[in-house]
Amino acid sequence: MARPPLDGIRVADFTWVWAGPYCTLQLAHLGADVIRIETKTRPCVTRMLPPWPGMKPGGLNRSGYFNQYSQGKRSITLNFKDPAAHEVARKLIARSDVVINNFAHGVMDRMGFGYDDVRKIKSDVIMISLTGYGDTGPYADYIAYGPAQVPLSGLSALTGYRGWPPMHAGFSYADPNGGVHGAFAILAALYHRGKTGQGQYIDMSQWECAMGVLAEGLLEYTMNGREPERIGNEDPWMAPHGIYRCRDRPGQVMGLTVDQFVAIAAADDAEFKRMAGAIGRPELGGDPCYATLAARKAHESDLDVIVAGWTAGRTAVEAAAILQAAGVAAAVVADNKFLSEEDPQLKAREYFVYKEHPEVGTLQHCGIPWKMSRTATAVRAAAPCIGQHTDEVLGQVLGYGAEEIAKLRAQGALD
Amino acid sequence: MAQALANLKIVEIGELASAPYAAKLMADMGAEVIKIERPGAGDRARDRGPFPGGAAHREKSGLYLYLNTNKLGVTLDIARPEGFALLERLVADADVLVHNVAPPEMDRVGLNFDRLHQINPRLVMTSITPYGLTGPWRDLRAEELTVWSAGGVCVLNGAGLDHPELPPLKTFGNQSGFQGGVHGAVATMGAILAQVRDGEGQHVDVSCQEAIASQLELTFEYWPYMKVIANRLGKKPIQPLEAMECKDGWIYVCCVEEHQWKAFVGLMGNPAWAGEELFRDRLQRGENWEALKIFLEEWVSQQTVMDLYQKAQSRRIPFAPVSTMGDLLDSPHLKARGFFVEIAQPAAGTHLYPGAPLKFGATPWAIRRPAPTLGQHNAEIFGGRLGLDAARLAELTRAGVI
Repeated sequence: MARPPLDGIRVADFTWVWAGPYCTLQLAHLGADVIRIETKTRPCVTRMLPPWPGMKPGGLNRSGYFNQYSQGKRSITLNFKDPAAHEVARKLIARSDVVINNFAHGVMDRMGFGYDDVRKIKSDVIMISLTGYGDTGPYADYIAYGPAQVPLSGLSALTGYRGWPPMHAGFSYADPNGGVHGAFAILAALYHRGKTGQGQYIDMSQWECAMGVLAEGLLEYTMNGREPERIGNEDPWMAPHGIYRCRDRPGQVMGLTVDQFVAIAAADDAEFKRMAGAIGRPELGGDPCYATLAARKAHESDLDVIVAGWTAGRTAVEAAAILQAAGVAAAVVADNKFLSEEDPQLKAREYFVYKEHPEVGTLQHCGIPWKMSRTATAVRAAAPCIGQHTDEVLGQVLGYGAEEIAKLRAQGALD
Repeated sequence: MAQALANLKIVEIGELASAPYAAKLMADMGAEVIKIERPGAGDRARDRGPFPGGAAHREKSGLYLYLNTNKLGVTLDIARPEGFALLERLVADADVLVHNVAPPEMDRVGLNFDRLHQINPRLVMTSITPYGLTGPWRDLRAEELTVWSAGGVCVLNGAGLDHPELPPLKTFGNQSGFQGGVHGAVATMGAILAQVRDGEGQHVDVSCQEAIASQLELTFEYWPYMKVIANRLGKKPIQPLEAMECKDGWIYVCCVEEHQWKAFVGLMGNPAWAGEELFRDRLQRGENWEALKIFLEEWVSQQTVMDLYQKAQSRRIPFAPVSTMGDLLDSPHLKARGFFVEIAQPAAGTHLYPGAPLKFGATPWAIRRPAPTLGQHNAEIFGGRLGLDAARLAELTRAGVI
């Protein structure tokens, strides 16, 4: 295998929480040397959140949240209350290709690491700020938290059961969506730098990246002046199209039994005919109430009752397998347990990563969502403990001697 | 100013969102994209809308028009030998082929990397498929709903403990396609940088399911770390983090840090109930959410959205409106940033579209041309560039190859 694509590219990673770390995770996946600049005086919140092995909190290195999104990165600790820490950071920037942060607007400027400062240290640097609202505009100083960005983006207004209030996406979707768009932008800027020698600054607004992935909703408004209605799991052009309850109840959440579900989508009349046969009701394929899309949409609730009656007698895995064998789009509505233990596809593709971590041992983490035929595609190491690589980076990358490092540590600059 | 990807040549065989979005991201940064569609029907996104006036029309679909800006459009049936030969000629001169042809169809038409690599060793071929090009699910039929479900998101969303009878809920739109697309664009750009370095291309195999599973926040790790199932029926550990109804719309009430909660209590005029032991800290507020909700709903219902949003933000409380589409189009912030851009296209007319997802200091994002009509650039590409004469073009058109 050839070296990974970003081998030799160094990233000074000032990010925390989720959007920024998800961005730099993509760069680490591509082989960049991502160095997270952390501080023990105010650790990343994800180091302190669950899940913890054995449900026991303790320390800053045991969170599955942090350990998922910092795989393959190095961690150094710097306490910016000490001017010497600024000097270390300046040296790191001088040896980096990319500087990235997702602090609130203006924080990097106040720390002395705004773009104008940074490019004086390294003239061809690529710097990106991942913020909730972007660097300009009247709300640039507003603060953004992951869960609130989903409703802000418009996605909540578009998502929900028919006739119900707006719903969420179920996770802080604008964070990883912004992060992965940021990674694309950095790669485009690296390509441009390779051609021209020119670095640049990139202003990313999570809000705007999120609106880019709900364009159909916005266009219904700009083209027709209408707010799209919420249609739950239905689709304007397919029926049946839904999530149906199955027989199996494999687990408990908050004392409640959790049902399993199967998702089913029949794209056209031919697929519906195959589906009708697979569920033992071949006559439906020729029934005028169901034979065409228009007819199925007109009788969708009756059709859903028929489908739900069939799925209720089967496990989700059985129902999905029967439909898939007939060439019908169907899938188990996977939860984390299913993905982790039962999904045969992820297992066969060796998607999951098992790397030894000094405090949590060898646990399962999600891996790289692509494979490359010529260059290596592998997570190099488990997520770092806080400050695990401070000596290594200061010594090997920045050229500090052991005595200098000891002195910096003694004065608290490396906390 | 030059655009960042002005030198790149890309061929796309894409339908709906995934491969088209990957190619759009690169086209909008300056790459030349030749999009190949099926003769006659074209990309399925052409049938999905929204349509101006509501009536379906293949040249007026909002989803298609958004996803295919800056592309040259040709029609080509790559299942026919003459069609595949033309694809080979296009690919011979390209840096990238990005596609989302389903794996069984790839096998049927002989679309594989080894074949194209022989023609062009520098080619990066990116295959964006629902489940990837290996494994037992490789050939499964898939749609947006089934892939988003298989990736693990739907189970997290929907009604909670108050309505456990309702099913998990799909997120609006084509999110699995968009995520396959943007992750595909990241992997493709990585492979391009390696191509520039080594002079050689490669095959990139992107799984939409894996792209989704890799962004499940902290929920996935609840199983490996704690053997706990993450599910929409779970209780949020901290509160308030909920959409609530004001007089004129919905607002997302969000207090993560203690100082944010204290500031919110101050904003509400320090009501006596807020001092109750039940609401002492964020974990207690999560535990006793049913009680807290009643007080908050009562107060929030008397507010207006924008007024509460601005009052909260001025106290550094991270509330946000539950934006309607109209709110977004009217937003003074988005207007000041020039987010929405006007695009004129002959059939659909002139409309506002979402604009640049990121602002580059040196290499602008730009709309150079609207999405192509079906086969709009057949003569320019097959005639002008590949040198087919008019008679041959007419013959291929008649035969349904282009």
